[in-house]
Amino acid sequence: MIKVEEIKMSAEETGKWGMLIDQDLCTGCQACVAACAMENNISFVGEEDAGYGRTMHWIRIERFWEGEYPEVKMTPNQPMMCQQCGAAPCEPVCPAFATVHSQAEQLNLQVYNRCVGTRYCANNCPYQVRSFNWRDYERPEPLPNQLNPDVTVRRRGVMEKCTFCIQRIHKAQDKAKSEGREVADGEFTTACAQACPANAITFGRVDDPESLVSQLAKKHGHGVKHHEELGTLPSVTYLKGG
Amino acid sequence: MTDKFSRRDFLKLAGVGAATTAILTGCGPASRYVKREPYMEMPEYAYNGQSTYYATTCRECAAGCGLVVRTSQGRAIKTEGNANHPLNLGKTCARGQATLHGLYNPDRVQEPQGGGKPMDWDAAIQVVADALKNNQPGEIAFLLGTTSDHLFDLVSDLAAQTGINPPVRFGALSMFESRATLAKAAENLFGQAGMPFFDVGGAKAVLSFGANFLETWLSPISYTRGFAGLREALTKMRGKLIQFEARMSATAAKADEWIPLRPGTETLVALAIGRLALEKRGGPLPRAFADIDPMDAASKSGVEIETLERYAEMVVAGGALAIPGGAALGQTSGLALAEAVLALNAVADNLGKEGGMFLSPLAPNQAEYQRSASVKEMQEFTQKLASGKIKVLFVHGVNPVFELPAALEFKKALDGVEQVISFATFPDETAQAADYVFPDHHALESWGYQRVTTGSNQSALSGSQPVVSPYYNTRSTIDVLIAAAQLAGEKFAGALPFKDEVEFIQSKVAPLMNEAGGFFSAADLPAFMAYFQQYGGWWTNYDARVIPNAADTLNRNLKVVEAEFAGEGEFFFIPFVSPTLAEAGANKPWLQELPDPTTTVMWNTWVEINPATAHELGVEDDDVIQIVSEAGTVEAPAYLYPAIRPDTIAIPFGQGHTAYGRYAAGRGVNPADLLGQRFNEAGDLAFAGMKVNIKKTGRKRPLSRLESVMGVYGKGLGEEH
Repeated sequence: MIKVEEIKMSAEETGKWGMLIDQDLCTGCQACVAACAMENNISFVGEEDAGYGRTMHWIRIERFWEGEYPEVKMTPNQPMMCQQCGAAPCEPVCPAFATVHSQAEQLNLQVYNRCVGTRYCANNCPYQVRSFNWRDYERPEPLPNQLNPDVTVRRRGVMEKCTFCIQRIHKAQDKAKSEGREVADGEFTTACAQACPANAITFGRVDDPESLVSQLAKKHGHGVKHHEELGTLPSVTYLKGG
Repeated sequence: MTDKFSRRDFLKLAGVGAATTAILTGCGPASRYVKREPYMEMPEYAYNGQSTYYATTCRECAAGCGLVVRTSQGRAIKTEGNANHPLNLGKTCARGQATLHGLYNPDRVQEPQGGGKPMDWDAAIQVVADALKNNQPGEIAFLLGTTSDHLFDLVSDLAAQTGINPPVRFGALSMFESRATLAKAAENLFGQAGMPFFDVGGAKAVLSFGANFLETWLSPISYTRGFAGLREALTKMRGKLIQFEARMSATAAKADEWIPLRPGTETLVALAIGRLALEKRGGPLPRAFADIDPMDAASKSGVEIETLERYAEMVVAGGALAIPGGAALGQTSGLALAEAVLALNAVADNLGKEGGMFLSPLAPNQAEYQRSASVKEMQEFTQKLASGKIKVLFVHGVNPVFELPAALEFKKALDGVEQVISFATFPDETAQAADYVFPDHHALESWGYQRVTTGSNQSALSGSQPVVSPYYNTRSTIDVLIAAAQLAGEKFAGALPFKDEVEFIQSKVAPLMNEAGGFFSAADLPAFMAYFQQYGGWWTNYDARVIPNAADTLNRNLKVVEAEFAGEGEFFFIPFVSPTLAEAGANKPWLQELPDPTTTVMWNTWVEINPATAHELGVEDDDVIQIVSEAGTVEAPAYLYPAIRPDTIAIPFGQGHTAYGRYAAGRGVNPADLLGQRFNEAGDLAFAGMKVNIKKTGRKRPLSRLESVMGVYGKGLGEEH
């Protein structure tokens, strides 16, 4: 197995953002999925394309079955989105440098205007969290009025995925900078974490031991990262249910 | 250098300079010099103007959660929860998020219509005025939805002063919540009708008898917060959830133990646990639990006696909380179950205690507990319409043609009404059957208020204000009624002496200014109303929950009954509300594309059937099967659901529209078509009180699911083959 060293922070970095997801609390209610779609101008694809697995969800709730009736159990709901890997398998395979690593926020960026739609990145993503615009999905008037002006509207042939609401990160950082201070923990959060009625999703700086996301991870103490064995260094920690 | 500078040198230099300039500017004049930026700075990295935020109230269901809506350049961009609001504390559900797809829905009613033709508002108001003026007061009726409490108050006042029929309220969610049963049980046991409030967050163990409180029941956001409190494991012991129901709902999926008991035996199980707990505790056995035989309950329900003993020990240990709801209430024995479960809380000694049961506080401007009509009351109302006693019917905020059981024949009853006037925002089935449609604004374009019925410790009135200006030529229904009343004669004009809707709402909210215990105070009315809008409502700064009076609770007789099931069918039938679509979400495309939490199906209706049963019948995934009840027939694809009793099938409610816009119409089936007209003792529909038969049709209709990509390798979707 290949071991990948943790990428060291350079002077230009502004912090490493991460998430903690408590699967014991997640009820699978889909509020995060709807909130993400509304915040990030995600297209809906309709019944047929949805059946072919072409939905554009940036976050999905996974659940599996164990056992047979009456000893059947649903595994704890597992919200799955881009894990913002420290060593992301999607990045080196892009011939167009559309999937690049941001040193500043320690995020995996998707540069839509570079993307030529090879879909290599989606093939190489062990989390299957990238979605491809197979068509220009229709948004009949006046639905486009709802589009968020802070987020690019993607078109056919472009790959997309969760950005950790990078537009919110930038807004908060710019505001803090103009006020001559650091971004406070909890000053802003991602759309999914903001909506979650069970508070199952916590977002914040994972490199700051005082942040809520770090504190909760420390207190619970049994967090796991998915596919850690692949050396992807994901930024999302899961607390298994039960 | 200058002394050697010749004319020839000058010309050379000037020539080079001119050429350079021409290259840089593209030969154009300076005014056309624009800064071209490459698309490197994506919108995510740029400022695109400032947003403004407005507090208002969500009307996707009747719970009354506070919203803060982000707007940019006059457009509503995003809904967020109002962090100040005592009900949802900044959180929203999927339906609250998707409310924007209602606001900017391409299929809204865009202008007043009569006989399928557009009208202007003056003519529309004249139609309403004539309807009020030319009919006897007893011939005028209003049917309202469960949201828009301000409209209900206005029509109630109008009815009280003019003698027209008092408004009737209904919503399919309240039908599936069995609100009448809960209120009646509270009245019978505690001498006080009200909405029970269950403090899930503080409990150590929750015994839920069918209550799907994480999905659509009463106030899902508040109960989900309670659930998170139950699971809190850092500061206390992690609380347990035990769910008794025949089909594993999304709530049961989160439970530590799911007990698929035989449908109809819930009352026996609740009573048996109570009796076993009382026996373990010792002392005289109270009247309420004297008649139940735990062994009998165990054998009838299929739950082992040891299991019941174990739950009884939980009750004795303290901190246990029992909740009745869902399909368990929607049976002929629903009232008996509600009483047994509330009495079980008395046995657990949790009434009015942390982690126990309370009665919800009344809202600030409310004198007594009000509830929406039970289906029994709707049946009487429908018969009144059919008999021709009502000449004009006004409908707002509800779609009874879709939401009521088809067996009530509401649509046919409308033929008995001379004039049906709908105030629908969307072209739903009822609006289609109406003579006129005078569209109200969307909730995000409206003024108003909503009483928080349950889910908040505080007594709360949630306020609405327009966050954007109306997109279409719609008009507030209250403004239409006020204007029409002016034209309809002195009696009506005198009953609605308001300039407009805002003045009316102010008259209803203003008395709160002098009330003690509000979380804000203001010196004068304009300041008070400004705060009311800014904060999104008014609520008390103290816990206003009511402690039930249990002095006589355990001395009552509690009925030991099993539910009766209508029809000769082989299978128990459980209709349940889709947690993502609910009663009015089907026209919002993003709600359609949300996977169902348990099956992950999108955009359609499915029938849940146990895989073993399906195998016996030769039914496979996506086989279209026919469900036949005593009241009707529907056809939908089968979903082999591993967590349902082999003798039970289930269908979600939410699809099956024949109108309601492009995203809803012609999609799936409506299980209300199967429902009959049997009621429990409180008048709520026994919606889960039927037995049905299933037949194969030999057709297949693939369902779109998130959990598989079978469509890629199988045959094409969306076609029957």
